[in-house]
Amino acid sequence: MPAAPMPIGGLTMFSFALTASVIGNAYYQKKQFYPSVVYITKTNSSMAVIYLLAFTLVILLGKFLKKIFFGSLRAAEFEHLIERSFYAVTETCLAFTVFRDDFSPKFVALFTVLLFLKAFHWLADYRVDFMERSPVITLLFHIRVVSLLLLLSLLDLVLVSHAYYSTITRGASVQLVFGFEYAILLTIALNIGVKYICHSVDLQSENPWENKAMYLLYTELCMGFVKVVLYAIFMIIMIRIHTFPLFIIRPMYLTLRAFKRALNDVILSRRAIRNMNTLYPDATAEELRAVDNVCIICREEMVTGAKKLPCGHIFHSSCLRSWFQRQQTCPTCRMDILRQSQPAPSPQPPQQPQPAQGAAQPHPTPAPQQPQQHQQNPFAGLFGPQMALFPPGVLPPFPFPPVPMQQHDQQQQQQSTTNTTTTSSASTTTSSAAGTTAASSTSPVPQASGLGGGMGQPGGGSIPAMPMNFMPPFFPVLPFNIPPPPPPLNFSAMTEDEVRQMEGNERQHVEARIQVLRNIQTLLDAAVVQMNQYASVVASLDISSPSTMRNTVVPPPTQDVVPPPTQDVVPPPTQDVVPPPTQNISTASPVSTPTFPTTEAISTASQSQEEPSPAPTPVKIDEVQLSPAEASDIRGAAAAAPSTSGVDTHEGESGETASSSNSSLVFSVDTTTPDLPDPDDPNEIRRRRLERFSHNS
Amino acid sequence: MAGRALKRLMTEYKQLTLNPPEGIIAGPTNEENFFEWEALIMGPEGTCFECGVFPAKLIFPPDYPLSPPKMQFTCEMFHPNIYSDGRVCISILHAPGDDPMGYESSAERWSPVQSVEKILLSVVSMLAEPNDESSANVDAAKMWRDDREQFNKIAERLVRNTLNIPYP
Repeated sequence: MPAAPMPIGGLTMFSFALTASVIGNAYYQKKQFYPSVVYITKTNSSMAVIYLLAFTLVILLGKFLKKIFFGSLRAAEFEHLIERSFYAVTETCLAFTVFRDDFSPKFVALFTVLLFLKAFHWLADYRVDFMERSPVITLLFHIRVVSLLLLLSLLDLVLVSHAYYSTITRGASVQLVFGFEYAILLTIALNIGVKYICHSVDLQSENPWENKAMYLLYTELCMGFVKVVLYAIFMIIMIRIHTFPLFIIRPMYLTLRAFKRALNDVILSRRAIRNMNTLYPDATAEELRAVDNVCIICREEMVTGAKKLPCGHIFHSSCLRSWFQRQQTCPTCRMDILRQSQPAPSPQPPQQPQPAQGAAQPHPTPAPQQPQQHQQNPFAGLFGPQMALFPPGVLPPFPFPPVPMQQHDQQQQQQSTTNTTTTSSASTTTSSAAGTTAASSTSPVPQASGLGGGMGQPGGGSIPAMPMNFMPPFFPVLPFNIPPPPPPLNFSAMTEDEVRQMEGNERQHVEARIQVLRNIQTLLDAAVVQMNQYASVVASLDISSPSTMRNTVVPPPTQDVVPPPTQDVVPPPTQDVVPPPTQNISTASPVSTPTFPTTEAISTASQSQEEPSPAPTPVKIDEVQLSPAEASDIRGAAAAAPSTSGVDTHEGESGETASSSNSSLVFSVDTTTPDLPDPDDPNEIRRRRLERFSHNS
Repeated sequence: MAGRALKRLMTEYKQLTLNPPEGIIAGPTNEENFFEWEALIMGPEGTCFECGVFPAKLIFPPDYPLSPPKMQFTCEMFHPNIYSDGRVCISILHAPGDDPMGYESSAERWSPVQSVEKILLSVVSMLAEPNDESSANVDAAKMWRDDREQFNKIAERLVRNTLNIPYP
């Protein structure tokens, strides 16, 4: 069909002449109608001429239909058509190789019809696309497009159903290929139809239809999905019945790519819309009046729906949205919108941690550094899920206020005694550094990890490593004066900017990610400190059981103060969990470390969430905090099995005191919760049961 | 979105017709398709391209002005920043992101603030002051640097070509 007029005319003339001569020759030889027909059909050369005529007729028919539905083709359309036809013919030839057994004139005819229908679908697509480009859309255009679309979809439907029934009745054959091809064409026709409707609606209204692009995008996405599914099914069926369908590789790849692009577009546009709605304020009438109120993107006046960027430039929100799908810069001054709007959300987090911190710490630190607050923010979102369980304000962000001081004492004691290994000296320096509150933005991590290393080291394996189940790093205990990360409420605490700050490959993104990892590391180190605290409690419980003690005597636990545990008693629970005190930008170790405690925290959190009891959340915390005491009980039961009952009682008492002191520590800042464990609390009951068990054994 | 493109192109066309910049004429090739324009650019005065009238075509993408148009001279050109097939290589015609020469900062790339008028004015200034640092046509850049006389001769021939005056 698409060829220069001269060759077509020549071909037509030639084929007609040839056919006439063939028929004339046959009639001349046989003199009668039937014998001549038989003669022609039996002679190969005559049949070739007839086929040539058929081919010519098809081309003429195609040209005729094109004239009816499209008028004359534009140059660009013609180019596209030639290119796509070339591919289609190549693929058809490939398909012939698969179905060479079915090869027959009918088969060729069917493929020709398919090719023609494909070409008409493409042309219809171009034409509908052209609607948005041309200012003059005539009624003829509408009539043509509508009738063509109706005809095409009808034909597709008929052919799909024909293929379906022939496959059902006569088994798998070439009809399978046709069925799928027409099904794909049907989706294309539907897509074009939706596009046409959208464009028509847009043309009818005076103002541009804002959501048209959105609808088109979603249509494309849906159709892309349907096509991908169709191709996948077709591929599977073909592989099972015939062989690998080489001829659909290219269209399948193109479809997949288009689908991926559509998906990407949808995501980007959704993000752009969300940013538009949340980040940028609407421009007021005064602001519009103050500047030249022409939107630089569409060159039209802005009356309503204008947005103001942080740099002060004003645009139509719809124009801006489509631009932000491509680039996150201001069109006028090219300022990076995301980077600029970064400082805006920062003022809100500092208020939360600061008062709690001041209350918790004996030496209130000066206001935490601004950058730190900033960096802690991204972190908030990471620990969102489990933190979200706790209502804001019920729990302070600093659940173990005295711990840092104790830790401090312990450190000094440790220093004064004997061990002056490298790690302990490191921890000493960090402790003194923390004492002077010289916390720079990067120092918390090495400080904390150095501390953790120092704590873990002296234990020396005197007590078997504590099971990890008893480590609930629910709330970070940040040693010394490092401001703790603000209590994250949920993922919304992580604003879009912070997320975006961590995306990308540029330097600041990498830095942001590393910062988050550092925050995680700080949390982990805090958890290690907490662990050591538990360990000290455990040690104090194990006083009476000589099997676990070596040579040091620990003062009996008192209600107010947890005894400073000596180095021998401190178990090495976290030596493998504690990341080496790295200061450089090694992402591997912080990445690997958070996995265990985090999942642990999540699992405990979900446990407490599953509890049907309507008790306030602090009780759940209690439960979690109590678990080390439980652990000590279990341990005590195991260790003190051969010992006398008197010792056992004592141990139980000490366990009681320790746990209560522990819980009092937990809630010393929290005024809303009771200090002592509730006797009816299921954990208490369980604990007593354990005690009784140890008695019996 | 694309209806917006059409509107913007019509607005630009109107502005270009009402206040045409000196030495530049531009408009759609036919009134039915606003996405293909023709432009005539006068060679800037005092340069080797003086007096020439150079025809070019501009092809706009469906998402104009979010993406830049393509510009191609339809006459023979010999210039360091014009490919031998007539395509113009200037940074404001490049979408941010793709960087064919690997040196352009995104600040000088396409943005919706640009317009047909700005593009054509940039092309005029490009004709006046070729940038031989990033050459689309290496031969032309070399000649521009080393053999200005020869370059001027070729330019004069081109100017005469566009005016249909035979070169002596």
